[in-house]
Amino acid sequence: MINIAFIILSLAALLFVARLLIGPSVPDRVIALDGLLITVMCGVLVAAADERSAIGIDTVLVVALLGFIGTGVLARYVEQRGG
Amino acid sequence: MMDTLGGVVLVIGSLFILLAAVGALRFDHIYARMHAAAKGPALGVLLIGLGTALTIRSAPATVAVTLVIVLQLITGAVGSHMLGRSVYRSIHPPLDGPDELAERENTN
Repeated sequence: MINIAFIILSLAALLFVARLLIGPSVPDRVIALDGLLITVMCGVLVAAADERSAIGIDTVLVVALLGFIGTGVLARYVEQRGG
Repeated sequence: MMDTLGGVVLVIGSLFILLAAVGALRFDHIYARMHAAAKGPALGVLLIGLGTALTIRSAPATVAVTLVIVLQLITGAVGSHMLGRSVYRSIHPPLDGPDELAERENTN
């Protein structure tokens, strides 16, 4: 079961990378980066479930905060500079 | 028993993330892509966190997973709102209906 979850998450990451590469505007790339970071969060959660240890979950908290701050900063950047 | 349930919930949550990725890749304008990429992960992280808590079954893991879920539900909505506002103000993509926000911003 956990291996299936890993495979599905890898597919999702691949699709987000495709959107990151084809753009076409900066907010599209911001969306793709945010989705990629969420995919990483979910991957760490699934890995924690695989190993049955609560240590990795703190990493997920840090990644979630980092993604929010990054999205906020890039949104301000897009607003001032234009797409 | 609980492990099987946790595994099933983990797979369903990953399917939601995959759905968000397909939406972000396939939808044809930026608001639709933003909508797919904002709503899918909220439910996906919720289900994957639930699956992790069901699989590990310890107090520290459950507390940390609850924090992650609450944080993701709040920051996901706020972040995509900020991004949507900046897209509206800087890129001006074509809209499907009347532009009510423009009327409201002009009166202020």
